[in-house]
Amino acid sequence: MTPRSTLLMQSARPLYWMLLAAALWILLRGHNEPGGGFIGGLLAVAGSSLLAIILGIPAALRLQPLAPLPLAMVGVGLAVLSGLAGALHGLPFLTHLWTGIGLSTVMLFDLGVFFAVWGALTGYVYALVDAGETAP
Amino acid sequence: MSHANHSEAGGPTYLWLAAVPLSLFLLLVWGLSRHDLPWHVDTPWVPSLGLSLAFRIDGLGALMLALITGIGTWVFVYASGYLAHEPRRGQLFTVLILFMLAMIGAVTADNLLLLFLFWELTSITSFLLVGFNHEQAEARAASRQALLVTMGGGLAMLGGLVLLGQMAGTWTLSGIVAAGPTLANDPRLPYALVLVLLGAFTKSAQFPFHFWLPNAMSAPTPVSAYLHSATMVKLGIYLMARLDPAFNDLLFWEVMLIGSGTVTAVWAAVLALRERDLKRILARSTVSALGTMTLLIGLPSAGAGLAVVAFMFAHALYKAPLFMVAGNIDHATGTRNIGQLMGLRRAMPWTAAAAVLAGLSMAGLPLSFGFVAKDIIAVAKAESEIFTLVSYATVLVNAVAIAVAGVAAVRVFWGPLELPRNQVHEVSWRMLLPPLAIVFLGMEFEFFPALADPLLLAAARSIAPGLGEVSLSAAYDLEALLSATGITALIGLLFFLAWDRMHEALHTLNRFDRYGPAALYDRLLHGLARIAAWHTRHLQHGRVSGYLQLTLAALLSMGMFGWLHTNSRLELTWDWPDHAWAWAVACLLLVAGAAAAATLRTRIAVLMASGLVGYGSAVLFLFAGAPDLALTQFAVETVLVVVAASVLPHYGTAPLQQEPLRASSGVLAAAAGIGVFLLLVHLSNLPVNGELAEWFGRTSLAEARGRNVVNVIIVDFRALDTLGEIAVVAFSLLAALPLLAGLRKGRVP
Repeated sequence: MTPRSTLLMQSARPLYWMLLAAALWILLRGHNEPGGGFIGGLLAVAGSSLLAIILGIPAALRLQPLAPLPLAMVGVGLAVLSGLAGALHGLPFLTHLWTGIGLSTVMLFDLGVFFAVWGALTGYVYALVDAGETAP
Repeated sequence: MSHANHSEAGGPTYLWLAAVPLSLFLLLVWGLSRHDLPWHVDTPWVPSLGLSLAFRIDGLGALMLALITGIGTWVFVYASGYLAHEPRRGQLFTVLILFMLAMIGAVTADNLLLLFLFWELTSITSFLLVGFNHEQAEARAASRQALLVTMGGGLAMLGGLVLLGQMAGTWTLSGIVAAGPTLANDPRLPYALVLVLLGAFTKSAQFPFHFWLPNAMSAPTPVSAYLHSATMVKLGIYLMARLDPAFNDLLFWEVMLIGSGTVTAVWAAVLALRERDLKRILARSTVSALGTMTLLIGLPSAGAGLAVVAFMFAHALYKAPLFMVAGNIDHATGTRNIGQLMGLRRAMPWTAAAAVLAGLSMAGLPLSFGFVAKDIIAVAKAESEIFTLVSYATVLVNAVAIAVAGVAAVRVFWGPLELPRNQVHEVSWRMLLPPLAIVFLGMEFEFFPALADPLLLAAARSIAPGLGEVSLSAAYDLEALLSATGITALIGLLFFLAWDRMHEALHTLNRFDRYGPAALYDRLLHGLARIAAWHTRHLQHGRVSGYLQLTLAALLSMGMFGWLHTNSRLELTWDWPDHAWAWAVACLLLVAGAAAAATLRTRIAVLMASGLVGYGSAVLFLFAGAPDLALTQFAVETVLVVVAASVLPHYGTAPLQQEPLRASSGVLAAAAGIGVFLLLVHLSNLPVNGELAEWFGRTSLAEARGRNVVNVIIVDFRALDTLGEIAVVAFSLLAALPLLAGLRKGRVP
């Protein structure tokens, strides 16, 4: 273990939450302004990577809703699910539906993209960070 | 050491699974008694591909179904006894059931693509069954061989079936058979038939693909009895018989089938004499029998159709029991080498009885259905004018069949016992009942032909529609007996007595083995591995500069090719973009980053410099009207640099090695740079079709309720693409995890 800066250790968690909040904000506003699931997911990956590098992988895993692979799979599952809603109404698969108050299956789909990116890329990042720390 | 001394492995025996084929068999019998053939169903599946769930059961299909489920029932009973000590028997039974369902699908499918699907499923399940003892290298090689040969043939067959389907304008087998005569003048017909026959020949182990079947004997014996004698290897025969009414009149078809069938029958009979392993002897004789069936299908007479089905039926009824007998001997003595097996009669009386009765049928002697079949075959051959050579060949083939029957049924059971008496004992009832039951069934059909007659005649009529009323009972006058069996039986007896001497004599053939198809298969497989190794050494050498050079050279040559094949001239026009100063700053970042990455030698500095290139392009995107792209680029670049920077120091901090400067690399780099520049200039001058962009811009808010067109395209208009992309991303992690785990353990450098 290399010595770590106290400043960095203390600021890691606040930074993570800020990045995650930004990620969610980017995700939600994506439909009308620059943003969306991909970019939001990448920001979340940035947050998780920061935690993994500074506080270690277990700390990063604790603040993630699911482990990387399940998270990625849930993401793909959500996207498929969002497409089934339209299919149940007799429309082609992935035809999106809106409710009156602005909620829609588009949002579910974008959330799926977000989770898939977040899960899959953190899976790679954790493995690389882990390999780096155990490297000779 | 004898297996029966082991205590039975715990767990279920799976004897009850025999109820699956049995109930299917009873269902078939019930259906046959209630409804007239043929039965068919047709449910559309993918109409645009011509794929539908079309099934059709006619006489031939019903006969195959009867064999699959009837023999299958007894094979399952036998397997429950044979595998009593096998801890992994659950797996074997699972695959066996899957195989049976695939077979049922293959012989009932009327749609060509559906037939192919089930056909390959039988190949895959056969692969799993042959390789069941996967800790033996021999079993692995045999299963791979069976898979490659039969699947390769299956692929050829797919091509042939597609051609046939296109020519006939129908995707059903019955439609092709109906359209048969009209196809005769189509120039594509020979190609289609060769391809289809490749599939049939590989599946039914016809020369030159005969070598995989004896090797497949490394499968457990119930599998050999079921797949490699009674059912799967008859699939090729089935297909040829199925198509025969359409192409029977073609000389091409006749020559292919009679030629290949005769060569296979004779050559496999000769090779049978070379074997010492009882199962391999039986396998060779199976190949020989399959050759005879191919030959019979090729004969133009209507009686040949009857001969094929009768022989197929008889063969299944005697070969499956003989395999079970070989399995029992193996189980009781631990060897299948006929040199060590003698006088087992007293120790294994019931097995001996089954062997003798099955042997009678194989030799075509009275008291067996084989006798009836032999009679019909003789009539069929007499009806058709066949070459004298072919009839001599059949005498030889039948004589060897008699000799093989003698070896399997007489030689190993009579004479003095070679092994210590206390080592040999009879096997359990579950391994005795099936062979006995099947041979008794065979005898029953000989005495009460009315039981099998309707089915066999119906099957024969689906091959030879012109077949009249015939009786399937054998003539029992002495003259007929002598003419049908006389001379052949005599030669067979001689072969049997001289078996060991002929075996020695045939050893001289060994020197030709390295020119045979089996050796060719080995050479092809080794060649493939060598090419793969060579190509990996030269393309996957691990030097990044080498990869880059190759990529750039390929890019350049493609660009040159495109340049030379268009007559558009390069036009240089220059418009200052808006925010030109920002573009300039971004370009400066890019150039500075690239130059620094190329010259710096400290790892972390090179990483930062390459990050600069990424940020530079993000700035470009931002001012080129692609804010989403810019955001993504910023995020990716940041994560990449941060993660790499945290990991990099662990791999050492020594400065990077200076690669020697080479003029050739410099020229390549310069050419690539200039080439890409010219390409971009050229592209920016090409007219852009803005129709799609305009449409997306117009409908984004109106139909998809979003103002960010890029995002709307991603999540709505092209959502299926995005779904595919995130699935790839997620599943790439699944694939990468094992590799990354290796990285962690330090196994991968």
